[in-house]
Amino acid sequence: MTANQRFNPIRKGLLEFLILQIISADKVYVAEMMSRLQDTDFATQEGTLYPLLSKMRREELVDYEWQESDSGPPRKYYKLTAKGKSQLSEFKDYWDYLNTTINQLGR
Amino acid sequence: MNTVIIINLNGNAFHLEEPGYQSLRAYLERAQSQLQENPDKTEIMADLEQAIADKCAHFLRPHKNVVSASEIEQVLGQMGPVETDGAQSPESSAAKEQPRAQPLDWDAPRRLYQIREGAMLSGVCTGIAAYFNIDVTMVRILFVVLALLTGGIWVLVYIAMMLVIPFANTDEERAAAAGAPFNAQEVIDRAKKHYGEFKNSKEWRRHWRQQRREWRRRWHDGAYWWAHNVQQNVHQFSAHSGYGAQLVAGLLIPFLAILSAVVFCLWIVAIVQLATSGAIFGWAIPASMPLWVSILILIFLYSAVSQPLRHARRAFYFNTGGYNYSWFAALDGLLALGVLALVCWFSYTHLPQVHDFFQHFNENWQTMWNNIVDSFRRTGVAIGLNRIAESV
Repeated sequence: MTANQRFNPIRKGLLEFLILQIISADKVYVAEMMSRLQDTDFATQEGTLYPLLSKMRREELVDYEWQESDSGPPRKYYKLTAKGKSQLSEFKDYWDYLNTTINQLGR
Repeated sequence: MNTVIIINLNGNAFHLEEPGYQSLRAYLERAQSQLQENPDKTEIMADLEQAIADKCAHFLRPHKNVVSASEIEQVLGQMGPVETDGAQSPESSAAKEQPRAQPLDWDAPRRLYQIREGAMLSGVCTGIAAYFNIDVTMVRILFVVLALLTGGIWVLVYIAMMLVIPFANTDEERAAAAGAPFNAQEVIDRAKKHYGEFKNSKEWRRHWRQQRREWRRRWHDGAYWWAHNVQQNVHQFSAHSGYGAQLVAGLLIPFLAILSAVVFCLWIVAIVQLATSGAIFGWAIPASMPLWVSILILIFLYSAVSQPLRHARRAFYFNTGGYNYSWFAALDGLLALGVLALVCWFSYTHLPQVHDFFQHFNENWQTMWNNIVDSFRRTGVAIGLNRIAESV
């Protein structure tokens, strides 16, 4: 992909919704999210992800529960709240709308 | 030797080398100030500490309980700078942009990565070029020349690098490959410009197969040429030589045998010293050179010295022994083995270091092995610019 510098703000803004999408399938913990994003244009690091997740939790889009792991300390597993789910579907609709708008304007 | 500081990361105790502790503290303090107005500050800090603790735990093993400074740099590089969404008011975001444009207060880490963008094969050369900030074509030419000169052995080194050097996957890693600070957008953009052009894996595999065939051919040719040329030359010399020369050659055989044995012993001692203490006969290798690279260099050096010796010895058997040369060869081999055994016995009984080494052979072997494996892991580790400048 051509990752133009001008698109940086777009990518940054989209990250939140990508995380909603990742969590939507099943509850996940941070390392798993990062490995999913690893090979995409949205590769990110703990330093960015933890503050973002805490912000999303404050906005009640996601919630987490502690779960024991076989190796190491218990992990925070994140899941979508009802509000997060509606936010995600709203986002998808809006994304489709944006797509059609962009494509139609060119004609 | 380094002072070790014990720290508590979210309830886990870790031993850190002092410089590593300093950079970790700087990182956490900066994170704290970034999160100053965040209501979840305590929780995020705990999460960050736990993530750092998990990463540090990867570096610990039964016989290694200290996290080194370079390992901490690696961990912090993986964590990335702590960023908050500062989109409250235009003034405050503008105010936040200001300090970020200034250089960070710790040296931008520079790491060796493979960079797929613009790579011909795997990205080793592009990574090295970015690391030393030189033209990638120069690196490629150098590699080809080295491959030819070493008769293909360099290809093995290249393959080892391919397997060992990590790929630069995130923006930060790509920036770190050239030693730029994370927020230098131009560098990131340049590194990303051709990203994705190299996704055609079929093309890649075809290229790779072709290259492999080529390497194999070169390897064979090189080995064949060497074996032939040298032996023939020594042969010609002996064919034209008279009785006196034959006598000299005969006397030279035991001398060469002893020399080979001694070279072999020195080589083994050098490798053991290098792997245990990082220094050869009191001479410390530059800190910027990973242990495994220096061991490879030692292996090359040894083969460079021992190959001609071996060929010379073989040629002398022909020269002196004529039809019975195989007897000479056998005798010579026995002599070399005898010298080797003698040296071993002598050093075991007379040199306390050697004696100690074999007394605790298992532990020593373990430490050597751990050191070598460690050096592989650490190859991607931050090395400050100034340290490179020192060693060049």
